[in-house]
Formats: sequence, C-alpha cells, structure tokens
Amino acid sequence: MTSLLSWQGGLADVGRATVTWFAGWWRIIHFGALILVLALSSSSYAGPNRSVMARHVYLGTAPILLWFTVLSSLISLVIIRIVVVTAVSYGLSQYALEMVVRVLVLELIPLTAAVFVALRCALPNAADIAAMRKRGEFDALAQQGVDPLQREVLPRVGAGMFSALMLAAVSCVVTAVLAYVSVYGFTTGAFVGYTRTFGHVFNPAVSMIFALKTFFFGLAVALIPIASVLYDPPRARLRTSAELQSLVRLFVVILLIEAASLIGNYY
Amino acid sequence: MLLLALLLLLVAGAVVYLMYARGTFEASQRLVLIADDSEGVAVGMDLTFSGFPIGRVRRIELGADGVARIIIDVPRKDAHWLRVSSVFTLTRGLLGNTSLKAFSGILTDPPLPGGAERKVLIGDATAEIPRLVADARELVRNLTALSAADSPFATSLDNVREVTERLKGPRGALGMLFGNEADAKKLVTALDRTNALLAKVDGLAAKADAQAFGPEGLMLETRAAIVQLNAALTDARGSLKKVDVILEDAQAVAGNARNATADLGALRAEVDSSLRKVERMIDAVNRRWPFARDPELKLP
Repeated sequence: MTSLLSWQGGLADVGRATVTWFAGWWRIIHFGALILVLALSSSSYAGPNRSVMARHVYLGTAPILLWFTVLSSLISLVIIRIVVVTAVSYGLSQYALEMVVRVLVLELIPLTAAVFVALRCALPNAADIAAMRKRGEFDALAQQGVDPLQREVLPRVGAGMFSALMLAAVSCVVTAVLAYVSVYGFTTGAFVGYTRTFGHVFNPAVSMIFALKTFFFGLAVALIPIASVLYDPPRARLRTSAELQSLVRLFVVILLIEAASLIGNYY
Repeated sequence: MLLLALLLLLVAGAVVYLMYARGTFEASQRLVLIADDSEGVAVGMDLTFSGFPIGRVRRIELGADGVARIIIDVPRKDAHWLRVSSVFTLTRGLLGNTSLKAFSGILTDPPLPGGAERKVLIGDATAEIPRLVADARELVRNLTALSAADSPFATSLDNVREVTERLKGPRGALGMLFGNEADAKKLVTALDRTNALLAKVDGLAAKADAQAFGPEGLMLETRAAIVQLNAALTDARGSLKKVDVILEDAQAVAGNARNATADLGALRAEVDSSLRKVERMIDAVNRRWPFARDPELKLP
C-alpha cells in the first residue's frame, strides 16, 4: 500500500514537473509574442519611450563592442593560423580559406556574440527587471498609466537583440578581413579569388540560414532571461537560482538553433 | 542612432558584397555541358581554365534523353577563353574531389556562342579501383602460391639454407661447390701439387735466368755473335760493293759484246752473201770451163 502510494506520488510529481516545464516554455513564447507586438507598435518609439530605447541600446552595445571585437579578433587569428597550417601540412591549402570562413564567420562568431551578450547584457538586464519588480516600480508605472512592458522591458529586449546583432556583424567583418590578410598578406591581388570563395560559401540557402540563425540567437538572448524572471516563480526544491535556470534554458535554445542551422547547411 | 546606422551599413554592405561575390552584377552567358553521369558535380562548383575559375555551375538537370545537363554561367569578360573547339572535362579524383575544366587549344578559333551545348569528357580515377582490386587479389593469390610450404620457392629456400650451412661447414665454399669431402680433398691435393710444381718452375726459371742472363750466359754470347755478324755483314757489304762495280764493268762488256754480236750478225750476213756469190761464180765457171766434171754418177 505504501509502495503504491509512493509510486503514484512519483508519477504525480513527474506529471507536475512536465506540465510546469511546458508551461514555462509557453510563457516564454507568449512573452515573445507580446514583445513582438509592442516592437511593431509605433508608440513604442514615440516620446520618452524612444529615449529610453536609445539609452538602453547604447548602454547594451557600446561598452562591450570594442573589446569583444578585439577579443574575437585575437581568438580568430589563432584559429585561422591553426586551420591554415594544418591544411597546408596535409597539402589541402586550397580548402583552408573556405574552412576558415565556414568555421569562424558562419558558426563561431554568431554563437560567441550571442553568449557574450547573454552574459554581459541580457542577464544583468533581467536582474534589473527582477529588482524593479521587487521594488514595486512596475506597479508604480502602471499606476501612472505607463505600460511597464513598453517602458522598461521592451527597451532592454531591444538592446539585447541589437547588441547581439551588432557584435556579430562587426566581428564577422573583422574576421573576414583578418582571414584574407592571414592567408594572402597585405596585397589586393587575391581579392578576386577571395571574393569568389566567399561567394561560394555564402550561397542563397546558407546566407538565409546565417541571417535567421543570428536573428534567433539575438531573440533568444534578449527574451529568455527576462521572460524567466518575469514569469517563472522560484522553485524552492531546486538548488539553482532563477538566473541560473534561465541561463540553462537559454543555452538549450542556443544549442537547438545551432543544431537546426547545421542541419540546414550540411544535410 | 550612430550604432543603428553602423549596423544598417554593415548589413547592407555585406548584402551587396555577397551579391557581387555571387556574380549578380556581371553579365554572363550560358554554357550547357552534357554528361552521362553528373555525380560529384554540385551547384556553385567552378569551371576552371588554366587553373582560373571562369564559370560557375548554376543548375544541374536531367535532360529529356536521360543525360545530365550542367548549366554553367560564364561571365562575359571571361567568355573569350572559350572557343568553338574548346574541350571540357569532368574529372573525379580518388578522394572524390570533382573538377570541371575547359581547354582551348586554338585561341584563334571563333568564340563559343552563348547557350552552346557541349559534351563533357569524363575521367574517373575511382573507376580503375575495381580492376586494381582484382589485380591485387590475383597478385595476393600468386604470392600465396609462391610462399606455400610445398612451393618451388620454399624448396629453393631450403636448398639455399643447406648451401649456407655447408658454407659455414669445415670445408667452407669448397664443400659447398663439391658437395662431398672426397672431391674437396682432391682439389686441395691438386692445389698442393700445383704449388710444388710452381716451386720447381721457379727453380727452373732461376737457372734459365742464369743461363740466359748470367755472366757466361747465352745473352752475352749472342750479343758477341751479333757483333761479329755485324762486322761480317759490314765486310760483305764492302765486297758486294766491289762486285757491284765488277758487274757494272761486265755489263759494259756485255753491252759491247751485244753490239759486236749485232755487228757480227751483219758481218756474217755479208760473208754469207759473198760466199754465195763466189759459189755461183764458181758454178758458172765450172759450167763453162772444160775442167767441168759430169756430176752424174753411173751405177753398175
């Protein structure tokens, strides 16, 4: 009898956890839809909302743009050197440049930019939102007739997304230039061949997948941490904090997006 | 705003660059390559000429007659490398790397027109692999037969081992050559006797040397004889010179005698004629003279 009760209790716990899990993901999707509607509303960019948006976009991008670019350039140089030397040692130097473009520009740079923005911008923004809610600032804004989502959440989501796209774009361009210089040196004679290789890699399908991947990376990085602190109650039985739970969820989503892009590119 | 402008600029620049890289802004002409098998050919693959890419595969489709049609876009600025006599090849390497190449032997021929269709020559290194595997299998079979325990090769190796063991034996190479002790011993005996003979010959040679080249040897006497012979020859030479003079005189005498003989002949002929004349005269006298006798003999 006791074992039957414990077995039933276990099943009930699993059921509740599954429902909670699905509910969490549904709340994120719902939150995303809300933010999308607000982002497409012209009122979100009017009046004080515009200045708040601009301020958050600047604060989320400018401080980290330069040194992320430097950091990614250094790591890119190392990876380019490794790939080129290895390819030359196997007599496959004609494939070195294409491999560098595929590995770095197509895959690694967007991924690292998304993770970096998540750690330096999105998670602090989520913590700010949680603190503001705790202090009752959301309620105060609502009493003043201001939509807190539009005034405080949307700019942060926009900043996170913009930061991810900006870091990815700048780093990709810098890496492409570094790849050319590393392989060919400071000469313009190989520009035509390099352009041809670039065009060979970025065919229409790959270009579309790359753009969608970067967009969804930015979206996931901007939405998931804030959605988690807005809608997920803290789970007392787990030892992890809400931020860590949102981080795990974010990494899972990033992994899924990356897997989907790899399947789209290479299958 | 600056950041937004920068992002828009980067994205727009990337889009334009990619479109340029894909050849969107350059005029091109179409080339269709017909192949029985287009395996390995992918959209976006380059068509190269002398190692330089001059075209790109845009589409691969199956024709109505079941052959593969590879549609290639060639930029007009590179189209002048293709001529009506150009040859196109599709080569597949061992590692599966497929390449499309164009060859134009006669660059003065008319240019290849747009939309031209050409049959591509296919070269596949992997097609040789089945034959190579079959040959390798045959080789392994032969090697197995060769290296079998009862094969002639194994027997030869056994014989070689036996020979090397004999080489290591007490008689060494001799034992290996003759195969038995008795014959090897005979050779050794023969060698000893030959050595003895050589020693005797040495002694003979020494004596002969003394006889020939010693203080009273043959060579000295021969040399002395030669000296004497030289002297005799010198005397003979002098005598011969005198004889030569005598002969010259004799020759002169003979010449004179020849002349005299010739004169004698003429004299003789004159004497003959004179005598005949005298004889005729006597006959005439006898006929006319009363002392003439009747020459006729009357027989009893």
